[in-house]
Amino acid sequence: MDGVRYLVSPDPPIGRNTPIPVGAVCAPGQADDRVRLRVDSITKWYADQVALADVAFDIQAGEIIGIIGPNGAGKTTLLEALAGILPTETSDVQWLGTPLPPSRRREAMFYLPDGVRPYQDQPVGRVLSFFADVYRRSADEITDTIEAVGLTPVLHKRVHSLSKGYGRRLMLALGLLTPHPLLLMDEPFDGFDLRQTREIVGVLRKEVTKGRTLALAIHGLLDAERVCDRFILLTDGRVRGVGTLNDLRGRTGLTGVSLEDIFLALT
Amino acid sequence: MRSPETFRVRDAPLWPLLVKELWEILGGRALWTMLLLMCPLIGYSFFQAVSLYGEASAAGQQSPVLASSLSPLDGVLVPTLGASYVAVTLLFPFVAIRVLGQEKESGALRLLIQLPYRSSTLVAAKLVAVLAAWVLSSVPAFSALAIWRMLGGHLSAPETLNLLFGHLLYGLLVGAIALFAASVSESAATAAIVALTFTIGSWVLDFTVAGHPGLLDWVARLSLTQVLRTFEQGLLSAGLVAGIVTAVIGFAALATVWLPPGVHVPNKLVRSIVCVLVAAIALGLATQIRLSIDVTEDQRNSFPIADQRVLATLAEPLVVTVHLAPEDPRYTDLQRNVLAKLQRVMPKLSILLASARQSLAANAGDDRYGEVEYAYGGRSDISRSTSPREILPLLYALAGVSPPAPASGGDYPGYPLVARGELALLWFFGALPLCIALVWWRSRRLPIDYRKLTKEA
Repeated sequence: MDGVRYLVSPDPPIGRNTPIPVGAVCAPGQADDRVRLRVDSITKWYADQVALADVAFDIQAGEIIGIIGPNGAGKTTLLEALAGILPTETSDVQWLGTPLPPSRRREAMFYLPDGVRPYQDQPVGRVLSFFADVYRRSADEITDTIEAVGLTPVLHKRVHSLSKGYGRRLMLALGLLTPHPLLLMDEPFDGFDLRQTREIVGVLRKEVTKGRTLALAIHGLLDAERVCDRFILLTDGRVRGVGTLNDLRGRTGLTGVSLEDIFLALT
Repeated sequence: MRSPETFRVRDAPLWPLLVKELWEILGGRALWTMLLLMCPLIGYSFFQAVSLYGEASAAGQQSPVLASSLSPLDGVLVPTLGASYVAVTLLFPFVAIRVLGQEKESGALRLLIQLPYRSSTLVAAKLVAVLAAWVLSSVPAFSALAIWRMLGGHLSAPETLNLLFGHLLYGLLVGAIALFAASVSESAATAAIVALTFTIGSWVLDFTVAGHPGLLDWVARLSLTQVLRTFEQGLLSAGLVAGIVTAVIGFAALATVWLPPGVHVPNKLVRSIVCVLVAAIALGLATQIRLSIDVTEDQRNSFPIADQRVLATLAEPLVVTVHLAPEDPRYTDLQRNVLAKLQRVMPKLSILLASARQSLAANAGDDRYGEVEYAYGGRSDISRSTSPREILPLLYALAGVSPPAPASGGDYPGYPLVARGELALLWFFGALPLCIALVWWRSRRLPIDYRKLTKEA
């Protein structure tokens, strides 16, 4: 399916040995300078039920974009399809204007799934060391990451003994240790209280200032409103709206309302 | 400040992956539990083997002829490592499945496949971990060999290393099957069923169809237990080694195909069929390799050297037609004493069973039953013997060559040893399990270099 689409694409797909462009500016007319990732179409069926129906949107450089929707809307499916770890019927994705096949998505983006406790028999420090060594992170980068997410007190603990919040912090730390320009995170605030959520929002904001782009799947609308620059509203596998809070307010004709009201109006 | 970058597959260092796999296999309970279970299993087998060998040796010390039949390979090594074979067959799949199954069940696989490694690299690293697990799980067997030496027993290095090599290949094969099972299964339990279908299914093949002619005989040869028999007989067969290595690579390739979750199942099926076809061709080629080395000290798989030299000069095809049922003990004797040795020295040997449907009952009234016909160079002769002492002169007569003069000296002396293995029981039932438990406990407390993880340090 990908191959067919690439044949009609103006650009050849990123080849097996072609380096993924990181900061290259797209050719005029191909894409907005700020658009880092363009999803022209992702469709996913489970048997006779559509999970993602021709989903299309784009992600701009240096933003935090929230994929918003109720449980079962297709947020996780969308992230997994985007990351190339879920087979899809169509997956037409461009990275800086160049088609990016699913097999090479991992070179441009890293996906942090929800509910994963990796390597449960190992101490937290060892799991972090593994990721840091794979990506050849410096000692400063490792310690900065650990301090930023507040994992220092549990470095000796085994992963299976971590609380839900610390488990979430571990996943976040692993994501921050990766060097990818785009980080996809599924429910990053699940398990955090208000204070912890604000703390983690600060960490994510700081990461964006370093030049990273974040796409977060969030079902809590308050959390989403607090952290995201733009939103993709998703229900039943269909995109109901994309834009900033003001864009969405304009689309609904509602002024001064919250994301919750907009969501209810659009879905 | 860290700038965003992309990370390409060839940039990633391999050692963190290998270290992670080793930690993972050491960190789980499966390997250690298997090790603890293997202690009494191997210990009792070793004790029984030493006791029986000692009883036979007591008689052998009075008679040099009897002593020459006492080989530690048959008397001690094979039975002791046989217990290891049972454990590897029944327990090792669980250890190997854990290498991948744990990551699948915890969801960590979704992180792992995003790391900058090829799927084949991930599977290869896991196979290295399986190899390490086999080495660790062989500690009780290694200690049995050490105790045998301490008791004064004889070990022939080529025999011992060859047998250990066979067990290593068998362990790798079981490990590769388990990895494949884990890659195609959603849960470790399903993977265990798939893996045990291969290993225990081999026993079923041995019990039900082995010894039957024709297609059933071919099916019986697919049994995994066939892997070890040649090594246990003291033969290092290049064809067998190539076949096992091919099978290991084949199962690893299948695991590689099924590892990435982002590929449609029909695509995986097509790739699997290609893998199976390539592996089948490679296995077919491996069966054509006739080279084998008799590593036994008594050269039991070979004729005397003088005869070997003469037989090797016989360039024409030799056709042996056997009028015996495959399950007839005489056929087994003939196969072991004559035909297998001829196969190693005469590449143009053809062995035919006179009737593919022969059985002992069906041939009760057949006058020719029991005859073996040898045809060479347009001449033929018949014998009912299963001894090389009668058949080799027959072959020399057919070929028109003179029998070689019997060489003197170099006879296998045998290694009788009357030893008591009771002390070994203390080791296998007490000290060794305790040591393993201590190492297990210690391995969970091995320090991590936290200096690079914390600024305070």
